[in-house]
Amino acid sequence: MRRLLTSKWFIVALVSLLLLAVIVIGALPGSPLHKGLRSIGSVASPVQRGVKHAGNTASDFWAAVTDGMAIREENEELRDEIARLQYQLTQYEEAGIKYEELRDAFHIRDTFSNYDIYGASVLSREADEWFAVVRIGLGTTDGVKMPEGDSFAVVDVEMNLIGRVIELEDNDSTVLPLLHEGFVVSGKVNEVNGIGVTISGDAALKSEGLCLVTGLSENETLEIGAEIVTSGDGGLFPQGIPIGVIESVDYSNPIAITATLRPYADIASLNDVFVMIPYSVIDGWDDEESEEDEVRPSDTSDDDAGE
Amino acid sequence: MDRKVLIRKIIVYALYILLLTSFQVTFPGVISFRGQVADIMFVFVVMTGYFFGFADGAVVGLITGLFRDYFAGPAFIGLDGKTARTVGIGMLVMFLAAAVGSSFFTRRMHRNIPFAFLATAACTLIYKISGHIIAFMWTAATSDRSYGLTVSSLLTESILPQLLLNLLATIPIIFLLRFAGPYRKGINPAADREEIGGNSWLTI
Repeated sequence: MRRLLTSKWFIVALVSLLLLAVIVIGALPGSPLHKGLRSIGSVASPVQRGVKHAGNTASDFWAAVTDGMAIREENEELRDEIARLQYQLTQYEEAGIKYEELRDAFHIRDTFSNYDIYGASVLSREADEWFAVVRIGLGTTDGVKMPEGDSFAVVDVEMNLIGRVIELEDNDSTVLPLLHEGFVVSGKVNEVNGIGVTISGDAALKSEGLCLVTGLSENETLEIGAEIVTSGDGGLFPQGIPIGVIESVDYSNPIAITATLRPYADIASLNDVFVMIPYSVIDGWDDEESEEDEVRPSDTSDDDAGE
Repeated sequence: MDRKVLIRKIIVYALYILLLTSFQVTFPGVISFRGQVADIMFVFVVMTGYFFGFADGAVVGLITGLFRDYFAGPAFIGLDGKTARTVGIGMLVMFLAAAVGSSFFTRRMHRNIPFAFLATAACTLIYKISGHIIAFMWTAATSDRSYGLTVSSLLTESILPQLLLNLLATIPIIFLLRFAGPYRKGINPAADREEIGGNSWLTI
């Protein structure tokens, strides 16, 4: 019996069973194990930020050494461009004032006017093809809250779709990237009455940096090079966020026409991202805070009365 | 065990776990090929098991797996159709990698360096093949979509690039563990004596 209990493979089997139980418990909604895992962040996050900082400093130093001449030439060109852009800016400022007047007159809605944008830096990326979520530096300490079952769109500096927030923690949040097999979004060709499609991550296309496009019917034609944007169906993503362009279309099976899409955003080269949060959600936070403020004085007065 | 030896072991392992884990999730593109990235954490755990035995490998594997779960815990489509992040898969994978790494080519080959590459290759193949089988079965159970990868694409897009990258990553990890590792002279004297109970089956 003692020999069995101290056997390596008995220990392996026992620990494996325990870890399987952890996985099952961790998969339950609201599992306390997720909170336990967050405590690892107090050790892991500072070290990881340090490694990131050291890597970026080394990369910047190397770039400063190697790019000196190129930077000087570029600087000259940029000075010329600044002068040209300043002239353009004054023209656009005038145009902007006219647009504001027209927008009020015709009740034009800006594409993303119902969303507030929160900037965040990319903290960590995928570890391999299955451990493939991304962490960004935006959390509840930044004043952001995510209602249960909700999600926020994540975009790059050019407003191209990157993914969606699936988990919000104290100092960071987890993003499910566009190429992940679990990611699905409704899209449409970016033109008036454009064809509606479904874009999702695919295990076979992920390594090529492509997404799968489905939901096409037999009598619809999807052009190669067509731009796909979010359709707004489902309510998770606002309408009109650019996703990417169609790279190939496969008509070989008329009842299941598929296409591939190359996303505009390349998560591997991004350092900063932006989270789009609807004002309707932000108003909810304000309501919660005002309710809490209302409750607090009465609690204090009760305590005082008790004393 | 001598206290100094124990302290050195703890410090070196803690440092390597934190630094290698952070490096992999911060700069995955540094060593990448055909969409795959070198799995430094995995190689580190396998090599710890291979060179320093099951006990060291198991502890290092569990802690590395915990960090892997924290940084990049896999997200899966649940039975309810929602995508959620999981806890524990990284720990299980890394623990099993250490157990297998401490069992192959350790006894007959005396944990020599050339066979360390073979241990990495064997563990990577087992991990990738079993990972794809589980992912295929999970996709079939939770979604009406096909897994999409054919056997040839599995080989050319996933398994072989990962194998190549992990073998490359083995070189610096061997140097770290043997020449700046947790034990002086790069040898754990207890590793060969740790034949606990009747575990000699499966040990080559």
